[in-house]
Amino acid sequence: MGNQSNYLSISDILVTNEKVPCKFLHDLPKMGFLDPASTEDDLKTGTNVEIPLWLAESLYSRRPPLVSVDLPKIYKEAYREILNADACTVDLHKLGQHFYELGCYIAKHDIKGEVGNTLVNTFRQRFRMILSASASTDSISALQPLSDTERERTAGAASTEKALSTWLKRGDCPLSTANMVASHRKRKRAEMEML
Amino acid sequence: MDPYEIEFIGENRIVSIIPNFSHDKIFLICGEFGPFRAGLPMNVPLWLGVMLKQKQKCRIVPPDWMDIEVLENIKEEEKRSRFFTKMPNEHYMVEAKLILGAAAEDIPRASEIKTIIKDIWDIRMSKLRTSMDALMKSGGNYGRLDHLTMMEINSVKPLLPEAMDELHRIKMMARKTMPASLNNSTFSQTGGSQNI
Repeated sequence: MGNQSNYLSISDILVTNEKVPCKFLHDLPKMGFLDPASTEDDLKTGTNVEIPLWLAESLYSRRPPLVSVDLPKIYKEAYREILNADACTVDLHKLGQHFYELGCYIAKHDIKGEVGNTLVNTFRQRFRMILSASASTDSISALQPLSDTERERTAGAASTEKALSTWLKRGDCPLSTANMVASHRKRKRAEMEML
Repeated sequence: MDPYEIEFIGENRIVSIIPNFSHDKIFLICGEFGPFRAGLPMNVPLWLGVMLKQKQKCRIVPPDWMDIEVLENIKEEEKRSRFFTKMPNEHYMVEAKLILGAAAEDIPRASEIKTIIKDIWDIRMSKLRTSMDALMKSGGNYGRLDHLTMMEINSVKPLLPEAMDELHRIKMMARKTMPASLNNSTFSQTGGSQNI
């Protein structure tokens, strides 16, 4: 996500390949092919087209800008409200595989400047999901709503978890809860009776 | 880091043993130990102690903290406190595992000690998880890891540091709406001036 540091990063290339809705501000001759719905050779002012972010960025940065970049729907007001209310209910895998990364690029096109805060809030709230997904046994359903980087992070955490539990179990003296104790439903009471 | 690597580091802790043989000083990379006198307690690194024990050449003297009452107190303290309490030993888990594994008969009430150490570990681990979540939610910028042992710190890697990094990156990029230019330097100037 840095400026130059990600030039060769595959995941950054994938992120910048995501499509964003744009509105063309000028007539572009011979560019009609960009809009699949159009039959003409020229692209008219005011056409709304979804183009990859890398293209949108360079068209936007021309003086004068050729396009105005709109927010993808997951960053729009309606979704922002959902995300701010409870980010854990949203299936980011479906709605935005590169939610955070794309969000960082897109944040500057948000006039109100609220996308940034939403990103931070969402990340904070969803950390719990990563935490529980990494420890969960039912990993498939826990992983499902996570975005790409969240899944990577979960995988990392899960392998640490696994290494630790193999270490605990190995050896002459596995430091684990005895079967009998673990299956004992009223462990608390049993402890109290002992005292 | 792998737990075994931490075990390896922890194996350099000094333990007290009572050898049942006599031998001159031995010279090791980590220092010189000995001379060994049968029946006289002496200090050696944990790995050497465990090795000698496996060959039936010594008894391991239980460390001071490996005692039911001491551990009960620690457990109570740990339950009561919101924060992590200081452990008697930076590598308590490693030491407990190795000593109880190799020399359970040298430790009085070994199985009870085993259970209680496991309880302490479980309490601390669940505390660690809840405080990690709380740290993220509350929006703290740093976490204090006082009194956490190496094994415990390792158990939150790479998740916690990576998540903190990512959060910082998002904040940097999104808050300032710093230009995230692709490879265009003029863009960074124009983008910046427009949005501030």
